[in-house]
Amino acid sequence: MADLQIETLHKYYGDNHVVKGIDLSIPAGEFTVLVGQSGCGKSTLLRTIAGLEYADAGSVSIAGQRVNDMAPKDRDIAMVFQNYALYPYMTVFDNIAFGLRARKTPAHEIAPKVQKAADMLAISHLLERYPRQLSGGQLQRVAIGRAVVRNARLYLFDEPLSNLDAQLRDEMRGEIKRLHQDLGKTMIYVTHDQIEAMTLADRIVLMREGRIEQQGAPLELFEHPDAKYVAGFLGSPSMNFIPAQLHSDASGLCLNLAAGLSLALPNSRFGHLQDRVGTAVLLGVRPEHIQRKGTERPGMAAIHVDIELVQPTGSRTFVEFKLGNSTTVAELQAHDVQRSGERIALDIDMNRVILIDPTSEQVIANGRQH
Amino acid sequence: MGLKACGVVSVNKIPLSYRLRQHLRLVLAIAVTLVFLFPVYWLAMNSFKTADEIYSSPPVWWPASLQLNNYLVLFKDGDAVSVWNSLVVSTISTVLAMSLGTLCAYSLARFKTGGDHLSNWIISQRMVPPIAVVFPIFLLYVFLGWVDTYIGMILLYTAFNLPYVIWMMRGYIQDIPRSLEEAALVDGCTHWEVFWKVVIPMCKGGLFATAIFTFIFAWNEFLFALVLTRTEVVTYTVQVTHYLGGQSNFWTKIAAMSVLGTLPVFIAVMFMQRYLVRGISLGAVKG
Amino acid sequence: MLVLLLVAVFPLVYLILVSFQGITMMDNSSDFVGFVNYQAILEDTRLWQALWHTVVFLAIALPLELLLGLLMAQLFLEKLPGRQIMIGLLVLPVVISPIVAGTIWSLMFDNRYGPINQVLGWMVDHEMPLLWTIKPELVYPAILVAEVWQWTPFMFLLLLAALANVDKSQLEAASIDGAGYWRIFFRIVLPSIWPVMAIALLIRMLDLFRLFDVVWTLTQGGPGTMTETISIFTYSQGFKQFETSYTAAVALMIVVFLSAVLMWALKRVGLSR
Repeated sequence: MADLQIETLHKYYGDNHVVKGIDLSIPAGEFTVLVGQSGCGKSTLLRTIAGLEYADAGSVSIAGQRVNDMAPKDRDIAMVFQNYALYPYMTVFDNIAFGLRARKTPAHEIAPKVQKAADMLAISHLLERYPRQLSGGQLQRVAIGRAVVRNARLYLFDEPLSNLDAQLRDEMRGEIKRLHQDLGKTMIYVTHDQIEAMTLADRIVLMREGRIEQQGAPLELFEHPDAKYVAGFLGSPSMNFIPAQLHSDASGLCLNLAAGLSLALPNSRFGHLQDRVGTAVLLGVRPEHIQRKGTERPGMAAIHVDIELVQPTGSRTFVEFKLGNSTTVAELQAHDVQRSGERIALDIDMNRVILIDPTSEQVIANGRQH
Repeated sequence: MGLKACGVVSVNKIPLSYRLRQHLRLVLAIAVTLVFLFPVYWLAMNSFKTADEIYSSPPVWWPASLQLNNYLVLFKDGDAVSVWNSLVVSTISTVLAMSLGTLCAYSLARFKTGGDHLSNWIISQRMVPPIAVVFPIFLLYVFLGWVDTYIGMILLYTAFNLPYVIWMMRGYIQDIPRSLEEAALVDGCTHWEVFWKVVIPMCKGGLFATAIFTFIFAWNEFLFALVLTRTEVVTYTVQVTHYLGGQSNFWTKIAAMSVLGTLPVFIAVMFMQRYLVRGISLGAVKG
Repeated sequence: MLVLLLVAVFPLVYLILVSFQGITMMDNSSDFVGFVNYQAILEDTRLWQALWHTVVFLAIALPLELLLGLLMAQLFLEKLPGRQIMIGLLVLPVVISPIVAGTIWSLMFDNRYGPINQVLGWMVDHEMPLLWTIKPELVYPAILVAEVWQWTPFMFLLLLAALANVDKSQLEAASIDGAGYWRIFFRIVLPSIWPVMAIALLIRMLDLFRLFDVVWTLTQGGPGTMTETISIFTYSQGFKQFETSYTAAVALMIVVFLSAVLMWALKRVGLSR
């Protein structure tokens, strides 16, 4: 039985159809990340699960029980907010203990529970301080501590790391992952940051305009996206999309790009597209799959290009060049290119590219066996 | 709703208890508003009654006809001039207070003239009970021969309202991002030009609202008017009290006069909805 | 910038005047009489009674206005059809001149022509020609009604704005944590609106202390001196009985007292913008 079950959920804000029929089934103990751009409805979905918003249609069930009409406090959930939502007039201890006191936990049990939560999050030394005396990272830990202390069934996170600076974010990400490993509870996490989604999730639910675009394990979505949107959303820098025509020649299928460029397609991956020969497609290739030309290997398409832009980051160098007529980004080793204007030989790993139907924006070949 | 179009079969019903609460709240809100408004209605309605209707027991709740006789009497007898007096005094003092006050406020906000103490002292001026200073002012005015003169009243109201204007405008000016003024300075404006071309336009709303509240304060003022006017510059507030007799009151005149006096304020407030809270609370609450 | 310092001096001038004249002037001659006036203050029962009346008004009106204002603010907090209009109308009592407010309630409370008595008569089924503005037992309620009627909307507006500014996510976090309505209200909402509430209370307290206009129109301080506030007392001393120097002394005492209160209050609430 799923721990959280959502069926055909709809939510309106006035005339705005924000959540358009979501079906989701989450097993116990799983870390699910709702990810997508601003306005895609992920926060609304989370808040509806929490009971802070009322579902206009459909149902939310926790542990098999329909909770649509239940107040948040009866749903046995805990939530961490983006702006921490700590009570400014109470000490850290009181903040964490608030929920326990509200549920009439006996007094002698409160202190040890708070202490345990504080230890877990390394904030025991801050228990007597007030929120205004704490830094962003500490505030976030207190917010998580408040959620953790209650031993709820379901944990909800609403973009908790958005207000932190980059370094702190990396740190906290690891802590949250470790927290999930230690507690083993069902957690639902909302973010717009795809790196957070990739690193934290057992399952990613990519949302777009109120609907689920695709859901599955992170690597599954990364390597086998079903739509152009998914392919372009995950991965940094994002995937290159190059218009091309599907053709057939003596050695099999190939792609004809603008400016007379032609790339051969390995049959194993793209053989099923015979009936599409002659149509326009979109070639999707990730920057990391374009490398400096090495030894000959099957599936590698060689090209010679003039580098237009060089952006070194220290460990790698990102370069821009024209493939066909489209600006393309490749991720090369640090010293592969010195300056723009250089002419270089590159290999495109055609075993990893995907093809997309330009009109439907659906992926027609992504390596998954059909 | 587009839900049917999506093929959704069952829409969730909003729980009955919630809808009931909403309706109850609406009823209560309307009731409260009516209760508070009734006295005003009573006043307005009385001003349209004939003398017989007013002095009738049990009281008439809705006059037979809306007649303006009471108002006409006021104009004929020349009592309505008091409204004119109020208008003159209030308007001029408001203009003066606004001009000087905004300038002061700008200086306080941007150049920290006098530091914290000055601003605290200014707000404490607002708190001074008029009763305490009425007497010395009266004596001063007798000495200067300013009793019952336009000049006297105008200057008084200006001085009295100045702290309020400074306090409010300082708040509004502080809300303007400094970077705007700095950009103008870099672009080549003098401080004076920055004031006129950047600051003033940016706080137009606040200016307007403060002016209205200043006007209202002067307009409604009673104590000083009572003390410092005799026959020439009687303001409408004092005029109304002239009608209060020992045994019986000229309700016709009182009602009409009160309505006349309240009308401008009422209109002004209708326009200033947005700035209401801030203006009344001395800027304690924004918006 | 110097222009302004000059102008700001003007109020200072009359403050100085007060202190100057408070101590030195006498009935018809300008002799220095030291602290005789101040001594008279201590012995003047009428003055202390006026003070007491003022305190009574304050002690009853202030909590009433606060409570009613709070309740009304809660009522209007969430969306309602016609909310804007109603709030705009509710402002009316505040912007009316206190004099006009007084006259309105004189009308309302009139023993023969006023609707108050009429409605009361309906409720008890016989005539109730109550003399609200004359009978000792009724004057205080009458004045208080007029006063509370006029200024509750003030509290209401301020508290409404303050309540609207409470951080919503804190309320949501609390409701998820399991807190009920009252716990949320006392532990989270109240501390959050306290700064605004404190200012509102301070303003009203000072305003109530100098209560004049409303009482003047309803009872002129009567019957006798029963409803005389400290302001009315001072006025009558100065302008009815022309006790110049005594009045000045009283006035000075009031200023000193209120300033002290103001200082203490500001320190306590820790405000200075």
